[in-house]
Amino acid sequence: MTVSRRRFLKGAAAVGATTAAAAGGAGFVLLGRDHPAVAASEGVDRVVRTTCSPNCTGSCGQLAFVRDGKVVKVQQAADYPDTAYNPRGCMKGISYHTLIHGRDRILTPLIRTGERGSGEFRRATWDEVLDRIAGDMKRIGERWGYDSIHVFGQVPGSGYIQKGANYRASALLGLTHGTSFDFNGDLPMGMPITFGVQNAEHEAKDWANSRFLLLIGANPVETRIPDVHFLFDALERGAQMVVVDPNFSGTASKADTWLQIRPGTDAALGLGLAREIVVRELADFDFLRTYTDAPLLVRLDTGVRLREADVVAGGSDARFAIWDEAAGQPAWVGTERLGMPDGTRAAVSGTYRVRLADGSAVQVAPGFELVWRELERWTGDRTAEVTGISAEMIGRLAHAYAATKPAAILMGGGANHWFHGDLTGRAMGLLASMTGNIGRSGGGFSVYVGQYKVRVNVGPWNNPDGVKAHIVPSIYFVRGRSDTMHPDVPYPANGFHGLVVTFANMFVQAPDVNRLHQTLAGLDLVVVVDHQMTETVRWADVVLPAATWYEKTDLTATPLHPFLQLQQAAIDPVGESRTELWMWRELVRRIAPDQAAAMDVSEDEAIEMILAAGADGPTKGITLADLRAGPVRLNVPDPDIPFLKQIEDLEPFPPVSLPAPIEATAAFLPTRRIELYKEEQRFRDLGETVPTYRDPHDDGVHDPAVYPLTFLTPHSKWRIHSTYGNNPWLAEIHGGRPKLLIHPDDASRRGIEPGDLVEVYNTRGAFRAWAEVSEAAGIGSVTLPEGWWPRDFAAGKGVNELTTSEVNPIHEVHFVANMWSPSTGWKDCRCDVRRIAGSSDA
Amino acid sequence: MPDRRSPVDLLSPASRAYGAIEPPSSSPRWGMVVDTERCIGCWSCAVVCKSENNVPLGMWWNRILTEGEGLDLPTTEHGREEMSWTPLACQHCDNAPCVKVCPVQATYRREDGVVMMDSARCIGCRYCMIACPYGVRTFNWGAPARPNGLETGMVEARPVGTVEKCTLCVHRLEEGQVPSCVWSCPAGARIFGDLDDPDSRVSRLVRDRQGEMLLEEKGTLPKVRYLPPRRRREL
Amino acid sequence: MTAHAEPRAPAGAQRRVGGFGLWLGLLALLMLVGFGAWVYQVSNGLAVTNLRNTVMWGQYILFFMFFVGLSAGGLIVASSGRLFGATRFGPIVRLAVLEATVAVMLAAIFLFPDIGRPERLWHLFRYPNLTSPMIWDIAIVTVYFALSALYVWLYTRADLAAAGSRLALGTSASVEARARDDRLKGALAWVALPAAVLLHSITAWIFGLQISRGFWYTAIMAPMFVASALVSGLALVILLALVVRRVGRLRFDDGLVAYLGGLLAVFISVEAFFVLSEALTAAYPGAEFEGDPIARMLTGQFAPLFWFEVGVGLLVPFVMLARRGWRASPRVVAIAAGIAIVGIYVHRLNLVLNGLAVSPIGLPPGVSIGTPQDGASFAMSNWYVPSAIEWLIVIGVLAFGAFVFTMAARWLPLEPTDH
Ligand SMILES: Nc1nc2c(c(=O)[nH]1)N[C@H]1C(S)=C(S)[C@@H](COP(=O)(O)OP(=O)(O)OC[C@H]3O[C@@H](n4cnc5c(=O)[nH]c(N)nc54)[C@H](O)[C@@H]3O)O[C@H]1N2
Ligand SMILES: Nc1nc2c(c(=O)[nH]1)N[C@H]1C(S)=C(S)[C@@H](COP(=O)(O)OP(=O)(O)OC[C@H]3O[C@@H](n4cnc5c(=O)[nH]c(N)nc54)[C@H](O)[C@@H]3O)O[C@H]1N2
Ligand code: SF4
Ligand code: SF4
Ligand code: SF4
Ligand code: SF4
Ligand code: SF4
Ligand SMILES: [Mo]
Repeated sequence: MTVSRRRFLKGAAAVGATTAAAAGGAGFVLLGRDHPAVAASEGVDRVVRTTCSPNCTGSCGQLAFVRDGKVVKVQQAADYPDTAYNPRGCMKGISYHTLIHGRDRILTPLIRTGERGSGEFRRATWDEVLDRIAGDMKRIGERWGYDSIHVFGQVPGSGYIQKGANYRASALLGLTHGTSFDFNGDLPMGMPITFGVQNAEHEAKDWANSRFLLLIGANPVETRIPDVHFLFDALERGAQMVVVDPNFSGTASKADTWLQIRPGTDAALGLGLAREIVVRELADFDFLRTYTDAPLLVRLDTGVRLREADVVAGGSDARFAIWDEAAGQPAWVGTERLGMPDGTRAAVSGTYRVRLADGSAVQVAPGFELVWRELERWTGDRTAEVTGISAEMIGRLAHAYAATKPAAILMGGGANHWFHGDLTGRAMGLLASMTGNIGRSGGGFSVYVGQYKVRVNVGPWNNPDGVKAHIVPSIYFVRGRSDTMHPDVPYPANGFHGLVVTFANMFVQAPDVNRLHQTLAGLDLVVVVDHQMTETVRWADVVLPAATWYEKTDLTATPLHPFLQLQQAAIDPVGESRTELWMWRELVRRIAPDQAAAMDVSEDEAIEMILAAGADGPTKGITLADLRAGPVRLNVPDPDIPFLKQIEDLEPFPPVSLPAPIEATAAFLPTRRIELYKEEQRFRDLGETVPTYRDPHDDGVHDPAVYPLTFLTPHSKWRIHSTYGNNPWLAEIHGGRPKLLIHPDDASRRGIEPGDLVEVYNTRGAFRAWAEVSEAAGIGSVTLPEGWWPRDFAAGKGVNELTTSEVNPIHEVHFVANMWSPSTGWKDCRCDVRRIAGSSDA
Repeated sequence: MPDRRSPVDLLSPASRAYGAIEPPSSSPRWGMVVDTERCIGCWSCAVVCKSENNVPLGMWWNRILTEGEGLDLPTTEHGREEMSWTPLACQHCDNAPCVKVCPVQATYRREDGVVMMDSARCIGCRYCMIACPYGVRTFNWGAPARPNGLETGMVEARPVGTVEKCTLCVHRLEEGQVPSCVWSCPAGARIFGDLDDPDSRVSRLVRDRQGEMLLEEKGTLPKVRYLPPRRRREL
Repeated sequence: MTAHAEPRAPAGAQRRVGGFGLWLGLLALLMLVGFGAWVYQVSNGLAVTNLRNTVMWGQYILFFMFFVGLSAGGLIVASSGRLFGATRFGPIVRLAVLEATVAVMLAAIFLFPDIGRPERLWHLFRYPNLTSPMIWDIAIVTVYFALSALYVWLYTRADLAAAGSRLALGTSASVEARARDDRLKGALAWVALPAAVLLHSITAWIFGLQISRGFWYTAIMAPMFVASALVSGLALVILLALVVRRVGRLRFDDGLVAYLGGLLAVFISVEAFFVLSEALTAAYPGAEFEGDPIARMLTGQFAPLFWFEVGVGLLVPFVMLARRGWRASPRVVAIAAGIAIVGIYVHRLNLVLNGLAVSPIGLPPGVSIGTPQDGASFAMSNWYVPSAIEWLIVIGVLAFGAFVFTMAARWLPLEPTDH
């Protein structure tokens, strides 16, 4: 303990105080004997500001307090200029030092000595492992092509430089880089389909401006810990909050009303609500006319929109028809600007006859007419039957949502992580549009999922001289190419023969994990870069020890708040760990010396590149020096709300989704409007042109009669996925044992008592955990949060033995990686449960 | 001994301002308000307490109780699920049983109301643990266990065979900074201040939102007050 | 009419010396083991016990209370003999006060293993906190020890002087001296009896004043404690008296045994009365909520202990001693006394364990246990069984007590000299 002079003086001063205190002490207690004064805090060597950035979306500024080269405390920096964001951080982030210096920390490079998965390794020098990897990659590259090496790295948004280095090196070496936002099932396909964007959420601060909050499959109390207070701010100002969740989640406990929905039926709820809103004449048709394709005429013969070219010889293919009720004839709208032609009154219902250029006549109907034909079928009773939520509750909810402005829909993984999650998204998009809540503070349809968001121009860093890495959705790595795969996907000609996993715990977090294990047979090289001895690391041939975000420099941002932040080294890399940039630099130098120069860029230089590239955009006026001083608000509106330009200036949809060029995503919306109706061939083939409902699918392999239970794997408040799964402090709280949440009825039907050891199984796999019997669970579904380490289960690899890797063909209609690309349906999974042993002997 | 500086002095102006006790008080009676409506049971306050005060494994000065069947599990009140959280650490009772029973005055009450312990004097009789109605005291039963041996925080570890508990982060108060748990609560559910100052935020909250004492009937006069949950507005 | 026990033959004495040697050897061994266990505990901390934040008081405190109770016998026999002229105690008075001295000494010794920093015990005298019942108890234990030691000396002084022992501290064995001793003893009785009552009350108040523990926070605690002390104290005196008579260091007739047995029966019924009225008062409202200590005692977790205490601990000995015919047999009285002592031990066990069985705030996840666990570090229900170390230490202390008593019984004149 260090006694600085200052402290000693304070001490002396305080002796008097405490003595006096004694005298005036509690009740009739006599005190008076001197006690040593409590001095100020012990000194530290350094306090460094960095950013916590697991795959979390929090992106919370943290202070690292350093003594003797060790981080002895982590605490929120609470230095956001917008003080509404202070403090930012959760119990996990502020206990990260137990991992930095923890027992699972990888201290040196490792080379496998035993079987794959045996976890037997020997220490090795950096030169040895780098030469080994370079050699193997060359061999694979020459034999199969470099694109047969798959680099799987999670969520680029949480570390533009080090994760960008993956892309940069992949581009230089011609490796195939995987995807994460789609692979994680987070990509809300309803967004690109309806709004033409990857995703578009309001910054968390804007929740406070809402009057009505409808949470669909989102559990911010457990998964948005640093932001959830904004919900309370809204509630304190009199807002109402409704939580739709099959389980009584932490968030449900804070809701005004909790609606226990049947899993996977949110789309039906959305449609039922939409119908009620129309029937109660609460729909905002002016908004629909101005911003959506509701008035655009669709040919009933083909199901394709009526275009100028169909009617007028030499007409444009990019001009669409509306039915002008004023003139009783079609009028034309272009794609350069939203809104309706002046003087027209566009029909949004009915069917009309139009004569085509070739003289033939066709029946046409406004888009919304077709939407309505679907909605009509969603009477209160039918919706109630599907969702399990009573008809009159649906009526009340519809009224409250539509009549209270602004009203926000917050959708989460629980609703999105389904094979047909896109339909749910489309239904919610419809609700927000028909109530005019788009582009409106306190309103909106926000899907809060992974930390996917690339907020800055990473182009010059990720793509050296504009060369891009081949990007193949990682689901195709797990499952192989699908028959319906989009032709633009650069799937390697010779399949995959090498795997590099970095910033990811693939063998725990990937879907259908047994299938993933089968791919190992075909892999000549598996490299894993991590700083914790994870399950994935155990399957590696070569392990590279990474530095944590307390030991290196990076640049990060998140969808939840608009601040650009640095990760800065508080301590030297622990053991022999290194930064990813350094590793890739060394590998490129060994594999392609001629390219080495391109990797000779420091973190700071890379950051400068990115800042410069966005100088007239997101990073306008931001310097590295500013960032070193603390978080800097990006050049975005305040509050940061999507679609403002569209709503206020009638700019056509979609706004750009970085890093993709606008042309790529604009192709999602031929009408350049919010598209409630989709005309692409596959939508028509599958009968999903308008928002509709489909039963959960689960690869079509599980007969509900045989596998009666839905298996839900939401995210745990105690971990970020598997990260922090080995946090000793948090384990003291939750007990470190995976518990399967099951309803008393489902439990007793299977003779399961609380604490019993149970097996959860389906055709894809099985694992064993302990039963937690509670009314918090819905009848007919069991829940076990994802991310538990396999070693914590009684048996099995964990929850992802059961989940599906099925690909939805609709997600393959276009292809822009992470934007219109196959999104995983984690929760779309059936199972059954059997009792193995009593709680006592379990 | 390397030349070290107070962690408070090393804070950036923004961070330091965030943690400053506002308004500063000359002769305070420190107290805390916990808003159970805002509390999300995240344990950030408990974890940072452990980190700040170098509390060994197996010991917690601060913990979050679930008003329910089990950790984060609801109770079912006539067909309706309900759950809330009650963070619990030393209540710094003005009429503190632990102070009364300590045979050697190792537990004492400071002028600012903090109930403090003198680890050098404690004989380890654990009578204070018997006397405390809130079960917030913990004993150093054996050699402290720490995660991979990592020593954390800003205060000295307490010796084996002595008792310890929440100190209201007196070491931080000395430097005009709020307790660590107050700093780190992401939900804004913990508010710190002078209960004797009628205009302090804590005093106002206690007045306006009927701040309650825990186990008030025991007459311990806690200086931690709990704000009850709001009334729900059913659809 | 029973005959006086005959003085033993030398031969027998010989044999017995051999046995005596064995006995001392055994005690020495046990003391050694116990001391070793204590050294181990001091070097590893109380973690080697099964005490934790959940049940922070156990075996050691329990034996502290128990021996405070046992020490009652002595002074009561002695002083009530004086104050109420209950002369029949005569033959065993010296043994009784000796028993009291040793018992209260043991009680004090049990504080050492109980506290976490024994080397700081002196803080009790350096920084006493006058509001702490523990300080009051320390004080009264000290006083009580002094008193009973003084008693022992007063009773034996003259005979020691007669035998020319240095323990007489140069006092004379003259008739006047003996007369003065008697007056002193008489005077002392007026202090000793209240001191005894106070001793047991204060020890009871250590628990009874704690509003934090519903089960203890009752006014009946002190009276009940006095009653149970009378039972265990007298019972132990009876047993020891019979043993010492057996080894021929004391002579008295079985009539006295029967008389003491009768007295014990009375004490037992008083104790039973308190136990009953406590249980009834608490149980009558029928508060059957979980975490209600009385429910736990009557029907729950602690029912076995409680009903053993009532059934075996009180009822059986009472019945055995109630009938004149039965209590005429020393063997019966001895067995009854033994059972009664066990009964009181269980009573104390019940008191401590049940009082701590449930934390005052019974919400999940409970209180932090205090040492790392492989599961969660919190516990809701608090069960406690002493660890091997705790037992070894207790046995060691008991052995020490037996040793001191044996030596005293060997070298002090326990036989009253009648004039
Ligand atoms: N603590 C913590 N925070 C995190 C993460 C973490 O792992 N841990 N991960 C981060 C990332 S990457 C993501 S993607 C997000 C995900 O976090 P969320 O968006 O909250 O998604 P989930 O936790 O998967 O599920 C949320 C809720 O949906 C419910 N649910 C399940 N099925 C259905 C359904 O069919 N319908 C409806 N309406 N509800 C359903 C679940 O019971 C759960 O309560 O969290 C981010 N934040
Ligand atoms: N059953 C089921 N499975 C799911 C989900 C679900 O809802 N249900 N959710 C899915 C979702 S939404 C997501 S986002 C994914 C998340 O999947 P992952 O992102 O793979 O999950 P994490 O456990 O966060 O893995 C991050 C890994 O990166 C490592 N790491 C941390 N810092 C660094 C670093 O600086 N360098 C390197 N090289 N590594 C580092 C961590 O130690 C950790 O092992 O999980 C998906 N899996
Ligand atoms: S884990 Fe996520 S929420 Fe917690 S501090 Fe880190 S970034 Fe913030
Ligand atoms: S940090 Fe705040 S919200 Fe979290 S448990 Fe503590 S008081 Fe509750
Ligand atoms: S809460 Fe317990 S420890 Fe804290 S002051 Fe009150 S009685 Fe003492
Ligand atoms: S354990 Fe220490 S602080 Fe508590 S009462 Fe005993 S001496 Fe006082
Ligand atoms: S005030 Fe300090 S010591 Fe007390 S609970 Fe909060 S952090 Fe822990
Ligand atoms: Mo995610």
